[in-house]
Amino acid sequence: MEALAERLRTVEPMAPSPAAKIRGWNLVSAAVQQSATVRSRGHSVKRLVLAAVAAAVLLVGGAVAASADSLPDSALYPIKGVVEQVRGALAFSPSDQLTYHLELAQTRLTEAEAMIARHRLDLASQALSAMDDQLGDAAALVKAEKGTDPAIAADLENRLLQAIATHDGQLARLQGQVTNPAAQSAILKARDRAAQAVQVAQTSNNNGNPSPNGKGSGNASASPHPTPKH
Amino acid sequence: MRALGKAASDDDRPLIERVRRGDQDAARTLYERYFDRIYNYVYARLGRAEDAEDLAIDTMTRSLTRLDLFQDQGVAFSSWVYRIAHNATIDHYRRHGKVTLVPLDDATLPQSADPSELAMEQLSNEDLRLALRDLTDEQQQVLILRFFQDLTAAQVAGIMGKSVGAVQALQHRALGSLERALQGRAEN
Repeated sequence: MEALAERLRTVEPMAPSPAAKIRGWNLVSAAVQQSATVRSRGHSVKRLVLAAVAAAVLLVGGAVAASADSLPDSALYPIKGVVEQVRGALAFSPSDQLTYHLELAQTRLTEAEAMIARHRLDLASQALSAMDDQLGDAAALVKAEKGTDPAIAADLENRLLQAIATHDGQLARLQGQVTNPAAQSAILKARDRAAQAVQVAQTSNNNGNPSPNGKGSGNASASPHPTPKH
Repeated sequence: MRALGKAASDDDRPLIERVRRGDQDAARTLYERYFDRIYNYVYARLGRAEDAEDLAIDTMTRSLTRLDLFQDQGVAFSSWVYRIAHNATIDHYRRHGKVTLVPLDDATLPQSADPSELAMEQLSNEDLRLALRDLTDEQQQVLILRFFQDLTAAQVAGIMGKSVGAVQALQHRALGSLERALQGRAEN
């Protein structure tokens, strides 16, 4: 039986004729193209529906516009959240999604600064936590894109690192200005979580191993002051 | 010399994502990676080049245009492609009947009636291919995948939806059946 198994291994594979291979590719290529067109149409319809919903929401009135600069202690602040969610639904490409997360992170940081100035530490802490949630989502986006398109992922990662570096600078200044221990603790925690987002973004997405550049989740001494690549 | 290339792995995943976005270059790469293997697999089952070409093309078309279904399968892309090829082969059997279309007279049969005395090197490839088609569907599948396609028992287990142990047991029984089939052909 061993000999028979070995004999089977030596059977030469049958190769298709070159003409069949060309004919096959022509058929497959046309089918793939058609399939992509159908999917694209489906996405277009989805975008139109979302755009219509977005338009309806945005036309609700002056309250929406007025809410844009509202702060967490304002009555208009919940409307701001709804508008932000609609914006998020309209961000389709990875680049647009990253822009969305980074802008929201910056907005939350600005709100946190304002709340600290008004001695509303509870709201400041919530805003800082929300900022880090956005950075975490952005890092997960970068990590996922690494499995799809490494070139785009590298660009997204660089943008994320630049944003986190900027935020960290702002947080460091804020930390130096406040004297309240609770506020200092909240800021320190926010900086730590931002550093964790850096680690996530620098991790390859296949099995959680660090990326080949030596940085990543396995690097316990990763700097909380990220430096973007240039 | 075998020229079927290595079995696919996680290397396929970035290509699959690109094909989903309509990238023709990625589709071409996957087509080149799998078409010959699938053709060889189907040919071993059917024994007719024309049918094997049609089914290999059909398999590749389905594989690369129904990637939305693949996402939910939870198996390697290579396993998925082989499963589609297997199902296409079964459909072909149902439509046309499971027949051996290569005339037996064309085959060079071994002279010895005793399998233990068969000189394996004297068996022609066609002898083996013909005898293989006398086996059950699963026995054919396991021998083709293991020995013609050079897949590991674990890879075959993934394709056939069985445990590795079940594949090894099936392979053992299939080799025994093939020996008997060769013996029967020699006696006739």
